[in-house]
Amino acid sequence: MNGSQTAIKIDNVGMVYRADNQEVTALTGVSLDIEKGEFISLLGPSGCGKTTLLRIVADLLAPTSGQVLIDGSSPREARLQKKYGMVFQSPVLYEWRTVQKNIELPLELMKLSKEERAERARKMLELVGLTDFAHHYPQQLSGGMQQRVGIARALALRPEILLMDEPFSALDEFTREKLHEDLLRIWGKTNKTVLFVTHNIAEAVFLSDRVCVLSPHPGRLSAVVNIDLPRPRTMELRDTPEFTALVAKVRNSFEGV
Amino acid sequence: MKALQTIRSSRKLVTLVWILGLIILWECGAFYIEAVKRTPENVLPHLWQIIASVFSTKVISNGQTATQIVLTNAGATLLRAGYGFLIGMAGGFLLAILMKLSGIVEKVAFPYLMLIQMIPILGMAPIVLAITKDIGVSRIVIAAILTFYPVCTNTLAGLKSVEQEKLDLMYLCAANRYQVYWKTLIPTCIPFFFTGLKISAPMAITASILVDTLQGDGGLGCMLSQSLKHAMSIYVFWQIVFLSAFVGVASSWLMGLLERRFSPQKRLAARKGA
Ligand SMILES: Nc1ncnc2c1ncn2[C@@H]1O[C@H](COP(=O)(O)OP(=O)(O)OP(=O)(O)O)[C@@H](O)[C@H]1O
Ligand SMILES: [Mg+2]
Repeated sequence: MNGSQTAIKIDNVGMVYRADNQEVTALTGVSLDIEKGEFISLLGPSGCGKTTLLRIVADLLAPTSGQVLIDGSSPREARLQKKYGMVFQSPVLYEWRTVQKNIELPLELMKLSKEERAERARKMLELVGLTDFAHHYPQQLSGGMQQRVGIARALALRPEILLMDEPFSALDEFTREKLHEDLLRIWGKTNKTVLFVTHNIAEAVFLSDRVCVLSPHPGRLSAVVNIDLPRPRTMELRDTPEFTALVAKVRNSFEGV
Repeated sequence: MKALQTIRSSRKLVTLVWILGLIILWECGAFYIEAVKRTPENVLPHLWQIIASVFSTKVISNGQTATQIVLTNAGATLLRAGYGFLIGMAGGFLLAILMKLSGIVEKVAFPYLMLIQMIPILGMAPIVLAITKDIGVSRIVIAAILTFYPVCTNTLAGLKSVEQEKLDLMYLCAANRYQVYWKTLIPTCIPFFFTGLKISAPMAITASILVDTLQGDGGLGCMLSQSLKHAMSIYVFWQIVFLSAFVGVASSWLMGLLERRFSPQKRLAARKGA
């Protein structure tokens, strides 16, 4: 490979949950190398272990077998170096903090000065197009705007890796498509490595460089589909035959679902 | 906005209707009792008779009028209830934090918490009095014990109500334990803490009055029983009943007021309403 670097190396990762003397195999033998700046989707039906894999990468879970390397070091070191930004399915905003204060929260934890926090928050608000809503409270925003705040907060720490767990699945179709375009624009500007969990095939195809298809029982990586659609991608791309063909290809790659 | 105003004014209306209803009910009862009993004031006097007794200058005992007796004794009882309440509040909050911090503390403390809650206060009070040998200290201790349980359990429930994602977020930002508590756990548990306070404030007052009845050394409860035994005017009893009810409601209301001032969530609601 011509000079590309591995940002995330997932090496034969397996995860077995133990609860009440019962063992649930959530993942077996997942291996995947993700390059710096790549946009990767983890696609699969409910219960196939997408969240589990994301949490293992983020050092929120320790795998029961195999290992994950972030830039050659452990997820724990990566976490302590603030290399992760995370966006959840629900916005997970602090309802007693304004939009700006929500974005500043990770910066407060880093003990940045007030001025620097405000400056970074301002940039992030501009990036996600919420400058006018800096002093609003989360409850005063629509679901889509709340999720934008979540993205801005995740990016505020300037992480190298952006982890997103079904961030748009609770939104309506219109808002979601708008956010897809915005996310790609933000990604183009900031050059993060993105690991994006979804169970929506079209979403995965539209956003990603590669779609990793996970199959359940037990969770495993059953296919990796390259999405060689040109960038920048816009809404119109969804109507092209190339897009439709790739969606069909990804759908067909599911094993016995 | 208009709908909100209607709801607000209708709530006031409902309260008014309630109070009026109670007054009418009380007075109906009073007229009935007056007709059938020889000493109706021992059972159910008219409200105006009670109000008249408040302003009466008749000396009842130790050179004091009924109102003076009630107020001086109320001071002794309510002050102790207040101290006990503050101690129970601080203790309950701290224990909740400790229980959240350490699973071992929770496992050890929880059965004791349940136990304290199950022992009836009337059974506990004489024991506390026998140990402390001081009625004032006993009032404080009992009020503190009663406050402790609701505050502690509610605060703990609040600490446990924090979404896992918020904790994940803190973890991913490599927040230390102090930051996790200060930025996430404690702000989330404040409304729960206040729920505990609202429950326990009237309880602390009731408990303190009950403790008074154990000994003849003054206090609202003591006057209450003396008045009932006809050692002094029965109107002392009625005044105390109304005063206690009023202070109980007021204490809970005060907690609500403090909550609007200090709870981050409530402060926000107030700002939005404005
Ligand atoms: N804490 C846990 N304890 C026990 N089993 C778990 C736990 N978390 C997840 N599992 C199990 O592991 C499997 C994978 O779960 P996971 O949450 O990773 O799936 P997912 O692909 O994210 O699903 P969804 O699309 O519904 O979010 C499921 O069968 C689930 O029941
Ligand atoms: Mg999931």
